Amino acid sequence: MTVSEHARANAPTATEPADGPARWSRRRRVARVLVSPTGYLFAAPALVIFAVFTIAPTIYTFYISLYKWNSLNVARSQYIGFANYQELFQENDFTTSALNSLVFVVATVVGGVILSLLIALLLQRGGRWVAASRVAVFTPYVTPLVATSIAWIWLLNQRFGLFNLVLSWVGVSGPNWLLSSTWAMPAVIAYSLWHEVGFTVIVFLGGLSVLSPELNEAARVDGVNRWQEFWYVTWPQLRPVTVFVITITTIISLQAFTQFYAMTQGGPGLSTTTISVLLYTEVTTRTGYGAAIAVVLFAITVVMTLIQRRTSRPSALAM
Amino acid sequence: MRTRVTRVLSVTSVILAGALGLAGCAGGSSGSSSASGGGGSSSCFLTGATASTAPSPSAAGGKVTISFMEAMSGGTLKSSLAHLVSEFEAANPNITVQLQESPDYTTLEQNERDAVSAKKAPTIGQVYEGWAADYANSGVIDQLDSYLNQTQPSPLSGLYTGVANDQKLCDNHYYMWPFNKSLYVNFYNQNMLQQAGQTAPTTWDQFATVAKAVSKNGVTGITIDPGGPTAGATGGMVWLEILAQAFGTPVYDADGNPEFNSPAAIKAMQYLADLKKSGALATGKSYPGEAALGAQKGLFDLSSVAGYSYEQQTVGNKFTLGTENLPAGPAGPANQMNGTNVVIFSSATDAQKAAAWKFMQFLTTAQSQAYWASNTGYLPVTPAALPLMTAFTSKNPWMTVAAGALRTASGTAAVPWADKSQGELGTALTDVLENNVTPTDALNKAQTNAVADQKAAQ
Repeated sequence: MTVSEHARANAPTATEPADGPARWSRRRRVARVLVSPTGYLFAAPALVIFAVFTIAPTIYTFYISLYKWNSLNVARSQYIGFANYQELFQENDFTTSALNSLVFVVATVVGGVILSLLIALLLQRGGRWVAASRVAVFTPYVTPLVATSIAWIWLLNQRFGLFNLVLSWVGVSGPNWLLSSTWAMPAVIAYSLWHEVGFTVIVFLGGLSVLSPELNEAARVDGVNRWQEFWYVTWPQLRPVTVFVITITTIISLQAFTQFYAMTQGGPGLSTTTISVLLYTEVTTRTGYGAAIAVVLFAITVVMTLIQRRTSRPSALAM
Repeated sequence: MRTRVTRVLSVTSVILAGALGLAGCAGGSSGSSSASGGGGSSSCFLTGATASTAPSPSAAGGKVTISFMEAMSGGTLKSSLAHLVSEFEAANPNITVQLQESPDYTTLEQNERDAVSAKKAPTIGQVYEGWAADYANSGVIDQLDSYLNQTQPSPLSGLYTGVANDQKLCDNHYYMWPFNKSLYVNFYNQNMLQQAGQTAPTTWDQFATVAKAVSKNGVTGITIDPGGPTAGATGGMVWLEILAQAFGTPVYDADGNPEFNSPAAIKAMQYLADLKKSGALATGKSYPGEAALGAQKGLFDLSSVAGYSYEQQTVGNKFTLGTENLPAGPAGPANQMNGTNVVIFSSATDAQKAAAWKFMQFLTTAQSQAYWASNTGYLPVTPAALPLMTAFTSKNPWMTVAAGALRTASGTAAVPWADKSQGELGTALTDVLENNVTPTDALNKAQTNAVADQKAAQ
């Protein structure tokens, strides 16, 4: 039996829907597997690597989170059930860091989308400096986070920093940005937007380059102004790209750590301690508790991704 | 969509159930072992430490290879350690020392923990006191009492008193052997000090007077990094700890319990708040004191003596860099030892342990320490090294004075919760200096949090 004959033999017939759509769907999946079992052999190395280095550690992290874990001497670890999770939700540090993460995610996602879309629209208009501008916008994204974080520490220095120098020209005495409970988080958000926006601008530029110009021309013939053209014609066509940008920015923001560690170490107080920073702080001496934080962070990321996948469905986008 | 979500949730449930099953089947559900080395003070947290028996020195008779996990990766540190290793191997042809280098101490700690966890611990490793406490409590390093008792007089007698005391934990047993030690010193702009008609301060009162006197026209007496929750021990934080000790009470007691809101600590915090209020103290991030000193915008920078080459590099030829011991407080001189000690991991064979002990003692001979200190800027851990390094001390007279301070200096807190609780101190310092919180309120909060950190880590 050839592959195609095999596929035909296993293909659903007109009578199968009577068994119910779920069973039919299952049979179709089985049929797909049998069409080309060798395909799975080709995929196997990647699947094994994924299972060993991603899936297994994830399961093991959850396992550890159920223990008062002694990483140095595992035999001395104590099973404590969900006590680490109970403790987590009772501790002020976790609540504060979760709120900080929320603030950071909202600011970088909303700010990132608006800023990158704006820059992409400007760059799309072309001009003599467009190539140089694209390079300038994208360059921060490929710079090392630690190196540029340290550079920003000095840009934000209260006494010698560029930002406060500029503010002093207009008669404003700038704050001690990274040591102020009020300004530390906005400063890290500003840095993060500067660093990350290059990537999302390129994504939006890609989206803009494949839009149909006829729709915009038709709208202009109908007499719409520039804002109406963007809002009613361009923007709806960019929704799939926007959903992708929101999804990827949310995941990156939830897991952001390096800039916080380098610029503020989570301080002052807990004002820039996000869930990732808290996880780092706790995991060495309280491994089980740290693992519980990691599981919660994982769960939040999964939920956010599912919500965004739901909103990216064609039916949702057509609204 | 509902089907897909349901599927994801089902898979997640299966994974969680599997993990729970694994947890239920786990063999390691027993409580912590209570085999104690004995002899500790009643409130010492080291309930899991175990006594060790030193192997006979002759155990290292045949060919043996020992591994040394270290972080001496930068500049002259790497070449100096390699030189000492080659000298040791030449004198002991049967022993090979494999250096396992990490780029910094944070990575070193992680590498050591990972290696122990994977049951592939090195023979020996550099440690801070807090790490050693955690390792000892987990029973993964050897207690060194029996090693020390093999020879008379005890090898400890050759060390500076402060260094010798730093090698034991709160149960009064020895677990560490010194290697690279440093202290905080006062780096300053000698030209600026002379122009202001001042001399290097010898008391903290004088320090405040001088700092206030020079703080004008864009110059600030001193600039510090107050630290934060995960910052580790920054200059500002360590200064606060040293001041508290100089004013009468260290911030940790002998058992490692935090005493952040003692009258001495509050006085120390008030001292810093007054300096800030008078414009003699500024704050910043990423070695701000060194940068301000180098830019001639700061007079003093309190930093580890091991950072001498970095300070000199920042200063260049702009002015003469002065170096003095820290001023003294009402309770006398106080300083905090930095740098690391070395431990022997219990999983090593007897032959490796015997060879490792021989190597560790070699590292602290007068000759080795004279070479090490002259080439790296670290302080010699034995006074016997100083006469052998006159070529260096004649050009750097501060080294002799600084090394002498090792007699009274104490190490960093030898408790597993040291890093986390120090973060609370850093937060308190920031609150006082930046957010106008009173020293008493800030330190009371830090104390409450530090006690919680201590409980959580035990």
